[in-house]
Amino acid sequence: MMRARQQIIPYLFLLPALLLLIVFNLMPTIATLFESMFVISLRSGERVFAGFANYNRIFNDPIFWKSFQVTVVFSLLVNPIQIALALGLAVLINQRAPGIGIFRSIYLLPIAVSLNVTAIVWGLMLDQNSGMVNGILLQLGIPRQPFLHSVDQALWSIILIASWIGVPLWSLFILAGLQNIPPPVLEAAKIDGASAWQSFTKITLPLLRRVLAFVLVADTVANFLMFAPILLLTSGGPRLSTNLIMYETYRRGFLYGDLGASAAMLSVMLVIVFLIVGIELYALRGRD
Amino acid sequence: MSKRARPTSSAVAMNSKPLRSRAQPIAVYALLILGVVIVIVPLMWAGAASFTPNHKVFEYAYPFSWRALFPVDFTLEAYDNLFDRGFGRAVSNTFFLAIATVIIGGAVNALAGFAFGRFEFRGKNALFLTIVMLTFMVPVDLTAIPRYILVNSFGWINTWQGLLVPGLANSLVIFLFRQFFAEIPQELIDAARVDGATWLRVLVSIILPISKPVLVAAALLMFISQWNAFFWPLLIAPTKEMRVVQVEISLAIGQYGTVWNELLAGSMIAAIVPILLVIPFQRYYVQAITGTGLE
Repeated sequence: MMRARQQIIPYLFLLPALLLLIVFNLMPTIATLFESMFVISLRSGERVFAGFANYNRIFNDPIFWKSFQVTVVFSLLVNPIQIALALGLAVLINQRAPGIGIFRSIYLLPIAVSLNVTAIVWGLMLDQNSGMVNGILLQLGIPRQPFLHSVDQALWSIILIASWIGVPLWSLFILAGLQNIPPPVLEAAKIDGASAWQSFTKITLPLLRRVLAFVLVADTVANFLMFAPILLLTSGGPRLSTNLIMYETYRRGFLYGDLGASAAMLSVMLVIVFLIVGIELYALRGRD
Repeated sequence: MSKRARPTSSAVAMNSKPLRSRAQPIAVYALLILGVVIVIVPLMWAGAASFTPNHKVFEYAYPFSWRALFPVDFTLEAYDNLFDRGFGRAVSNTFFLAIATVIIGGAVNALAGFAFGRFEFRGKNALFLTIVMLTFMVPVDLTAIPRYILVNSFGWINTWQGLLVPGLANSLVIFLFRQFFAEIPQELIDAARVDGATWLRVLVSIILPISKPVLVAAALLMFISQWNAFFWPLLIAPTKEMRVVQVEISLAIGQYGTVWNELLAGSMIAAIVPILLVIPFQRYYVQAITGTGLE
């Protein structure tokens, strides 16, 4: 009798959390895939089963493919840039130097600030007429740049805004990884005559492999869902050059009311996220 | 003899690399300061401009002068106008929502972390992998449409329940609690159990009092992510009475997009709350965000 009661207790403790996760997270994940097979009937306003019609529509839609392409280009640029800079920043703040604690605190500030606030402030900093960045360029004798208003520069501006938070954020993970490396390992390399660069590439980087793999996946997924700066600053423009896929799903679903097409796009994104995470789990399986 | 024995040197400093030559510190500080400039300048300008009359917001930014970074034409006009427009409502909404999330969500997630960290039971690994890990992997924004349809069917659009309930259970926070609780020595628990304490009593009066690090970390994580949340509140609670700070400032861009000092004043209020929480508790916050990534 006592044992039976004991056995119930952990389930009771789990019940509220697991119930909430099932209802608000797990079911919606499955429902996204279902929802992508329905359309809202224009005549009756009811949801009608449509099979793969939504997928057919989005796969034959140049705007979807354009936003897919923009997202791929964005990912291929923003992730390597952020990870390289985050690695550099982590090595930098891992130095034993006077006052380093103050620098570490300052680099935490962007992480506390929301992406919305970052987008608003940087949007005004990058203003094409009177923003501060152009104000500094003017002092340097460089002509005014259009930034968010230019097909060529808008995506780069979004990369800058995302990286203002992303670089310090991911550097924290890499810093934690660096501090897990036992100092004797690096000292031994130094005694053996390895240069700083050699010990970094031959010892530090291989030991950071797991952390870097995690950061790569988490950063890729986070940037894949980039939304707020697009909504607030560019609405996907100019000429769809910043029309990242998450914004496109929002536009279809919530601005145009086409929830079916939106759910189909989200399902495609879900599959991609699972592939990205799955590849990481596969790459890191069983080692160490 | 060993530097490690010195009690003043923190674990962080021990593992840091010492600087090698003379040239290196200069290069290190130059790069550190460059980074600080990139971090600080936008915040200083935004802060200064929020205390500036609207027609002077860009005055020192273009062409750039150092005055852009300080409120040289100080006025509270932007903040006065902002609160006259009802911004205080958004601030109190967001505080209420974030605090409710910390209290209720904290209880829900701590109970689950306790069960996963301290009990052996049938289906433990399966439940952890299929529910906690799976929901951890799927970003919530990707599943917002069915969640919206579900919450709508409950009649929860523009309600506190709609804002609060879907975000209470948090797999990252369950993770943090599980890891911390799993490392508490068994003897502490056994002693209490011999005295006849119930498991809930063990959790509340034995475990929680010695779990300050994880409680602070979890509370910070939940508070700040709720304070900074945007996509879900935008979908679920866009009416004026229910708006949170992030939604209010974002909609302000469209509504009165040229009142820059008010936009920046709202942004500064949105930014200062998490900053003031992170600075004193940074050790806990860093552990909270990096804690799960390294396993």
